[in-house]
Amino acid sequence: MTDDWVPVEHRFAGLDRRTFKPALTALGVALVLIYGLPALDAAIPWHNEVEAGDVLDLGGGATAVPPVGWQLESGTLTGSAVTASPTTLQVTLATGGATIDLRGVPYTGSADAFLDQVERSEGDAPGVDAARGSVTTAAGLTGVVQAGTGPGGDALDVAFKVPQADTAPALLVRVRTAPDQFERHRDEVTAFLRSIAPGPAK
Amino acid sequence: MNGKAAQLAAIEESGWGVPFRFTQPHNLAFWVYLLGLGGGALAIVRYFGTSGFYAPALTGGVLLFALYLVPWLLLLRRQNRYTAQPGGLLAAGFAWGGVAATFWIALPANTALLEIWAKVGGTAFAGDWAAGLSAPITEEWGKALGLVLLIGLAPRLVRSAYDGFIIGAFIGLGFQVFEDVLYVYNGAAQTFGANQLGTSLQVFLVRGASGVVSHALFSAIFGAGLLWVLGRARGERRVVLGVLTMAMAMAFHFAWDDMTGLGGGGPLTVVLPFAIAAVELVALFAVLRRAARRERSWMRDLLGPEVDAGVVTPALLDAVSGLRKDREKFRKQVHSRRRSRHLLDAAGDLAREISRAGGTETARVAHARAELERLT
Repeated sequence: MTDDWVPVEHRFAGLDRRTFKPALTALGVALVLIYGLPALDAAIPWHNEVEAGDVLDLGGGATAVPPVGWQLESGTLTGSAVTASPTTLQVTLATGGATIDLRGVPYTGSADAFLDQVERSEGDAPGVDAARGSVTTAAGLTGVVQAGTGPGGDALDVAFKVPQADTAPALLVRVRTAPDQFERHRDEVTAFLRSIAPGPAK
Repeated sequence: MNGKAAQLAAIEESGWGVPFRFTQPHNLAFWVYLLGLGGGALAIVRYFGTSGFYAPALTGGVLLFALYLVPWLLLLRRQNRYTAQPGGLLAAGFAWGGVAATFWIALPANTALLEIWAKVGGTAFAGDWAAGLSAPITEEWGKALGLVLLIGLAPRLVRSAYDGFIIGAFIGLGFQVFEDVLYVYNGAAQTFGANQLGTSLQVFLVRGASGVVSHALFSAIFGAGLLWVLGRARGERRVVLGVLTMAMAMAFHFAWDDMTGLGGGGPLTVVLPFAIAAVELVALFAVLRRAARRERSWMRDLLGPEVDAGVVTPALLDAVSGLRKDREKFRKQVHSRRRSRHLLDAAGDLAREISRAGGTETARVAHARAELERLT
């Protein structure tokens, strides 16, 4: 009974002022971590622009040439100390109104079946999908391509099966643009897709 | 100080026998704790709410890591000796670690900080070092806030570095298990749901094995360090030792998360996990031993009058308030592992009843004493 009794000189708005120190310390630090860090992140611009001659490391010797001027937000270039893994690859390239994401995944089926798996995992999104087609890179790697458009913008998914005997990864390239912005980036996206080269077959 | 006075002082200082009351509407720490838990629960619903496609992986992960929890809880229950913490307090710590620290704090904070490192140092630098430069800050502090709030909720119960160690371990365990389930889900999403059960089993094996020297260990060390800095028990304020101990926990977290960067991708990378684990375990036991000093002296003071009265033998007092070697010595003296365990448990029961009774004679104290005499 007396445990609940707060002496009058310690009361504030029905609370015990003696409990404020730990509570407000914890709350303050939590808010800095939860909201302060994202605010700081938002205030810092990207300075990781792709330059002419840069080559993306897709793991296992596979490479691609990123569009000059885009920001490399995730992923590594060839020649750096860090090497990419073809089965856990995550690359993000961004420019105003458009992103290109690359994901490397261990997958044993065909490129077509992989694209089916991706679509199943994401359920039905509103929009209109075009018929599936195929795309062949300059190095002769053939992938399955699916274009679509919806209220959020335009989308292009391309699935490749990279012929590496030990890991047999699948590679998914996802292009997303703001509504009606795809045409602006079509040439860069096409050049990027054509530049994808598989590593040496083992 | 005579035996009875020392006993009463130990009861007062240790807070042993004080029940833990969770619902405290007058306590601001209670509302901040609820805010954290609510925020975490909301984030869990948002994160997993639309993940019906990944239900097999998620279910497998939850079941596997729920089973994984059992040996951990048994181990920590054994470590919760001396002036043992109430289950409700430890459960509150576990819930903070699992729900609030993981989903309310670490998830948004890590996302932001990982991106900041990539912006500041480039993606190659981030690939090597960002995880280890982020998690020791966001996760260790996120978990430690639970300990700070529990001090606010139970100021008499959370006193010594040993309290920080035990409660920290429970907070860390909560974080570890909930984060592991998150990893299972992310692993399934990374592969777009192909072979979900296989993926969850793989994550379970990898995370389960590395979990032996992971969050529970980091937070136990960090918690002990924090209580040394705060110095809540008489004579226990050791600011430099506390800061160094907290920094050591963060350094271990850094080393564990950035093993690839530290190993440079060479042969060292293979050896490093075992080397780091060995150093971590040695440090853990060193911190535990140092942190238990105050609790052990409280235990001696609590049972001192019972030694004077001939109920507790000096050898039993040494064992119940001592370290592993003292307990082993006692076991050899009584020539029976089972009898030794029963005597230690009975002496612990008596100490607990004396604390609950505030040092007075009650029927339960008399019964606990009679039980000990029956076994002696």
